[in-house]
Amino acid sequence: MANANLIQPDLDFVKELTVEGGGGESLKKCFQCATCSVVCNVTHTDRPFPRKEMVWAQWGLKDKLLGDPDVWLCHQCSDCTAYCPRGAKPGEVLGAIRKISIQNNSWPSAIGKLVASPSGLIPLLMVPIFIFGAVILGLGRLNHLEGPIVYEKLVPIPAVDAIFMTAALFAALSFFTGIKKFWKAMLDATGRESVRGSVVPAIIAALSEIIAHKRFDKCEVTSARASAHKLVFWGFAGLAVTTTWALVYLYGFHLESPYSLINPMKWLAFASMCSLLYGIYKVVSNRKDNAEKAGEGSYFDWLFIWLVVLVGATGAMSWGIRLLGIAPLAYLTYFTHLVLVFSLFAYAPFSKMAHMVYRTTAMVFAHHVDMEK
Amino acid sequence: MADNGTILVVGGGISGLTVALEAAEVGREVVIVERNPYLGGRVAQLNKYFPKLCPPTCGLEINFQRIKKNKKITYYTMTEVEKISGGPGDFQVSLKEMPRYVNEHCTVCAKCEEACDMDIPNEFNFGMNNRKAIYKPSEMAMPMRYVIDKSVTGTASQQKIQDSCPYGAIDFSMQPRTFNIDVASIVWATGWNPYDASKIDNLGFGKVPNVITNMMMERMASPGGPTGGSIVRPSDGKQVNSIAFVQCAGSRDENHLPYCSYVCCLASMKQTTYIREKNPESKATIFYIDLRSPGRYENFYKKVKDDENVSFVKGKVAKVEPGSDGNVILTVEDTVGGDIISQEFEMVVLATGMEPSTASERVPGGSVGYDENKFLLPGGDIIPAGVAKKPADVMTSGQISTAAALKAIQAAGAK
Repeated sequence: MANANLIQPDLDFVKELTVEGGGGESLKKCFQCATCSVVCNVTHTDRPFPRKEMVWAQWGLKDKLLGDPDVWLCHQCSDCTAYCPRGAKPGEVLGAIRKISIQNNSWPSAIGKLVASPSGLIPLLMVPIFIFGAVILGLGRLNHLEGPIVYEKLVPIPAVDAIFMTAALFAALSFFTGIKKFWKAMLDATGRESVRGSVVPAIIAALSEIIAHKRFDKCEVTSARASAHKLVFWGFAGLAVTTTWALVYLYGFHLESPYSLINPMKWLAFASMCSLLYGIYKVVSNRKDNAEKAGEGSYFDWLFIWLVVLVGATGAMSWGIRLLGIAPLAYLTYFTHLVLVFSLFAYAPFSKMAHMVYRTTAMVFAHHVDMEK
Repeated sequence: MADNGTILVVGGGISGLTVALEAAEVGREVVIVERNPYLGGRVAQLNKYFPKLCPPTCGLEINFQRIKKNKKITYYTMTEVEKISGGPGDFQVSLKEMPRYVNEHCTVCAKCEEACDMDIPNEFNFGMNNRKAIYKPSEMAMPMRYVIDKSVTGTASQQKIQDSCPYGAIDFSMQPRTFNIDVASIVWATGWNPYDASKIDNLGFGKVPNVITNMMMERMASPGGPTGGSIVRPSDGKQVNSIAFVQCAGSRDENHLPYCSYVCCLASMKQTTYIREKNPESKATIFYIDLRSPGRYENFYKKVKDDENVSFVKGKVAKVEPGSDGNVILTVEDTVGGDIISQEFEMVVLATGMEPSTASERVPGGSVGYDENKFLLPGGDIIPAGVAKKPADVMTSGQISTAAALKAIQAAGAK
């Protein structure tokens, strides 16, 4: 028995997955037939997923799962869930494992717990409400809102930028420690000390795959999801460019907002906004249409989706209501928009938005391991 | 009023025959109603059946003899139950008999078959070949008499058939006939249908050539089957030397039949012996989730496993695609090895399960309950027997049916 492998199940992990609202409630229905691994279009053929992840999860092998890139190579196409003969919903279970993975990787994990639970919503929103409220009240801005609607009057742009920069820095730091931890877990799980050679080719391979949505496009049951995700993805990318553009205007050329409607920056902003809004609308409608085959999705999924919907909606409304000249409503909408944007970015390492970072990391790791062969 | 305590048995397969004989041989009047033009049901379609792996001729023939000799049993083929009213002790049942167009003068001389120039798909062989529009239901049909497919009426072939018979056995003036009987108890033994494999969209049936079902394999291996007992490919008639069996094809699957049909593992193991005996060069692979060989059938499993040309792979086939040359490619995760494998076979058998006939056609009257899969529940006015009650092999069906016979006698009351 010298080589016996003692399995040490982490029962708390199993409970966390299977508890009501955990996202993996159906886990124990799996009887390991392996239909899922075969109908999956994004898996590799040696040691495929998600069948092995299902049995690891049933056995409570948390460390194996947290160091498993396959958990993240899964795009939750839900072909597995549709064909699963037991209703074990492997797609949903892997989504729930990713949620736990996010909580484990991103520092501090306490915020992860708050993001994952409905009871954490109010405390989390109170942070930006308090910060922006303090700036507005502290500077006495509510008394100077007469005249044409200029959002600068409510919160000075440098203050907005300072707050968002801090939030972004915090998120970046959290992501950095998270990637390190995740990378280490993947090395440990594959019995490596470190990876051999440069990871740059793997990074290039992963990014080109992501930009083209190569894996996502292979989904069958939820084939419409890839195009919806592309719209959201490019919407966000466009808004990132717009933001940089605005920073250059403000700090490079000292041009103050609001900018003219014929400014190309506005066109990009408008196009990106439309892409984001239509994309996220399609995300929601696809999920509703696919619910019967692919599952309902968890609170964790929907929180992120609704955050994106509301960021997009309040962004568009801030613009529209300003043009209509309804002052109190415009400022209130803008304030809400600031609170939501802050939440989207500051909590990104803990919300489903973290998939952006961890899935990319997993893809880089997987590409690198493939290239090593 | 059924003061004679008559028992109606609906379904003339192995279960219905068992009920009828058990009841009649203790002196009860029994009426058997069978939809097909022959008795014997699904067993008649098998090449060999458990537990002794004898051909249906041995088991059914004895039962047919007992029925012929027993004056207490009346049977109607091509007949369906239209309506049931009343209750235990006093049922009124309306029956509808379809015209056979062939009367009792038939000597099975086959002159009509030779004269007939119209072909129809052979349903007995699951459409794998054609038969004439006037046909003998099977090699061992009971009653041993030709039957005419009604599609021939009004065509030029009708006259040719009419003219060919030297015995005056052809009678196209026959009409559907509805009549009523009074019975004291009713046993429902309508059996099962093979699950429709074309509903399993990832297993290729009906789309990928040379993918057949286990019941088609029974017909193919049977001496009276479409190939005269040769195991060859439907697409090109080539002798099959590599074959795969896909277990749980639509079974234990909540998208199809959520339950285990009990017999399919053993059926596939049995079918490996067909091909290994007929094509000695052949190799067979069984892909499974779990293998089931209850009770003493474990010995049979061991015997099959000892054949080094039969392999077992744990993993459910979830993709079936056409390969080169009419071959079929199966994709499966070998859950013991842990990798996805794609393997090419000359022919693939889907081990489809049993769907109770009552899933598509309910009992027309009487108080009767169904479980979630539409098998009949005991405790109602109608007594279930055989696979109408639960998935079972022939031996278990016999046991269920003997028990049902006793219940039917009790329900019919003192004679």
